[in-house]
Amino acid sequence: MTITRRTALKATLGSALTAFPLPYAAGAAGTDWSKLKGQSIVINWPSHPHFDIAKKLIPEFTAATGIKVELDEMQYLRMKDAQVLQMSKPQGDYDVIVYVIMWKTEYVQRNFLTELAPLFANDALAMKDYNKDDIITAYLEGLGLVGGPRGYLPGPGAKLYGIPYGAECSVLAYRKDIFAKHNLAPPKTYDDMLAAARTVKEKEPGMGGLTQRAQAGHQVTAGWLMHLTPYDGLVIDNKFEPRVSDPAAIKATEVYKEFIDTGPAGGAAFDFGQCINSFLQGQSAMYCDSISIFGPARDPSKSKVTETVGYVVHPKAAKYSGELGGFGLAIPKNSAKRDAAFAFIQWMTAAQQDVRVTAQGGQPTRWSTLDHPDVKKIYPVDTYRECLKIANPDWRPIINEWTEISEKVLGIRLSEIITGKAPIKPTMDRAAAEIKTIMTRAGYYKT
Amino acid sequence: MKPSMGLDRRLTPYIFAAPAVVIMLFGLLYPVVEAFRLSFYEVRLGEQVTPQAFRGFAIFAEALSDSSVQQSMAVTLQFSAVVVLVEMVLGVGLALMLEKPLRGMIVFRTLLVLPMMIAPICVGLIWRYMFDVNVGPINSWLSVFGVKPAWLAEPGLAFFAICVTDIWQFTPFVFILALAGLQGIDQSSIEAAKMDGATPLQIIRYVKLPLLAPILMITILMRLIDALRGLEVVYAMTNGGPGLSTELFSLHIYKSAFVTQRMGHSAALSVCLLIVTTALSALLLMWSNPLRQKGR
Repeated sequence: MTITRRTALKATLGSALTAFPLPYAAGAAGTDWSKLKGQSIVINWPSHPHFDIAKKLIPEFTAATGIKVELDEMQYLRMKDAQVLQMSKPQGDYDVIVYVIMWKTEYVQRNFLTELAPLFANDALAMKDYNKDDIITAYLEGLGLVGGPRGYLPGPGAKLYGIPYGAECSVLAYRKDIFAKHNLAPPKTYDDMLAAARTVKEKEPGMGGLTQRAQAGHQVTAGWLMHLTPYDGLVIDNKFEPRVSDPAAIKATEVYKEFIDTGPAGGAAFDFGQCINSFLQGQSAMYCDSISIFGPARDPSKSKVTETVGYVVHPKAAKYSGELGGFGLAIPKNSAKRDAAFAFIQWMTAAQQDVRVTAQGGQPTRWSTLDHPDVKKIYPVDTYRECLKIANPDWRPIINEWTEISEKVLGIRLSEIITGKAPIKPTMDRAAAEIKTIMTRAGYYKT
Repeated sequence: MKPSMGLDRRLTPYIFAAPAVVIMLFGLLYPVVEAFRLSFYEVRLGEQVTPQAFRGFAIFAEALSDSSVQQSMAVTLQFSAVVVLVEMVLGVGLALMLEKPLRGMIVFRTLLVLPMMIAPICVGLIWRYMFDVNVGPINSWLSVFGVKPAWLAEPGLAFFAICVTDIWQFTPFVFILALAGLQGIDQSSIEAAKMDGATPLQIIRYVKLPLLAPILMITILMRLIDALRGLEVVYAMTNGGPGLSTELFSLHIYKSAFVTQRMGHSAALSVCLLIVTTALSALLLMWSNPLRQKGR
């Protein structure tokens, strides 16, 4: 599977992308960025721990290249309206956007993004020491490629439109002290995780088993997805038929609800911040979500459990399957400063910067970063590598209609289920019918 | 100097009023007309309105048959009824209690109106923290009794929480208007009632409230319109959940426009909300129009 995907990726990107040697030294060695000096670029930038760290490097980029950077910073789920509005104009204000994985297909289909392969093929622009093979494969494929099978998977037809940055997969974090106290082994399977959740709820007063995202809308869908593909479930199949009421999806929903019921108090309304804080503040014994927990879990100003957190790979249910998500950097087609924007993307995602951001608690983009001694000291690198092996590029269907399905169908029906307001099977049948309506309206079933 | 009675004199008021009328037309009417126009087209955020996107009333038909739209409207009407009723009772009650000039009353009144001055999105964030199940002060106080409600995770409690928040913020608005109305009441009416042997409660019931009625009607109208348009507080506190239990109609419209990016659908829902708001306002004014009562 991995070999096939890599092969397809190489075929897609062409030789231009495969020719960048290691390592990168700060600056624009071998490239001709001098003409970009004095230009000013505007970047739509999320408020997010990884990007909070990364933005500290921007003055160095300006010093190295003479390109000034202005950040338009906002909450990450709010970025899409601003980006769509700007990218719909003949000439937009944004020269670089940070996009969430869910938006990539829609952006490309609406002709918003610049294909990156031709830019990498331009010797005057491409950094000579930029090694794309060093970018974590699952991230490059999952975040960067559009146009392949199902429109978003790696394979024939896929082209590169973005570079992963702040990308993530899922991991299970658990409280070693609590597990030891109750003679629980680190969970390898969902049965282990469920048993641990029940034990903690029963025997640890005031503590929940697994903390999860569950606030109505995007968050509850994200929480449910954590269990869907491990149980071999799907949102839609290859014929774009809804599968959310299939037995596998129903089982995943039952498990999700049980985790809510055995979870921390008020967990049925947690957004991501509350979800992670519940674990870091000692109110939950387990966390199964983004690896972005690695940084905060070590930070005493954010965590009460710095010394007692263990990590294992996202447990197996019917199969191993982990999240693949996060952010990427792309250049809007209507940017007037494409070259400067491309310089910025390369500089920020180059090996040297990646190590520095990761060493401060950011999320790595490159394999070489995981090998760096400074990173190895603070990151559970071995577990991370295992998590990357099971990161699933088909974690959710990244089609144009996904936001509507996620927020207005699953985001409501799942919320009704976990608050005990609605029975699982009829509600998921209803969700399937609603998804079918959306897909029909979008023209997926035309003969 | 004798004023001219010619055409110039007759036109003068219109000329003076013209700039304001033009601004009103472009600033207020134009967006409403555009919303009506957009509601007939299936367009997404950032797309041009083209003849091919015309769907006519089909968008309205789809919107009105959507169960989530119906549920959202029901939640909005319940929310509006509850908060307007409670705010009126509390606001008028407080005004009646605090109308007398007592020592320190200016400070107290100033403190009382502070919530109204806070941006609604901040109010939402403040009360989200207040109702937080683990770190919120409310649960901290309730822990004395051994209870720890999950305020924002239970449909009924979440609805209660957004009502409390709105009541906290807008009762002062009712209070200010009621207080202004009470202070504008001719004292001779109250004196006359006292001389006739009316008790304080009878003075309130038969003198103050009837004289206050026109102001209260306008207050109800303004609060009702505001409650029907409520967005920021629920957006920050619950995002409409759990399920649709706190999804006010404006939040539903916002999600249609900026989450699913269906601008035509969103415009159609906005038109529906405008119709509902206008109809309820008209009903209220038909029932008791303060301007008509004054014979104007």
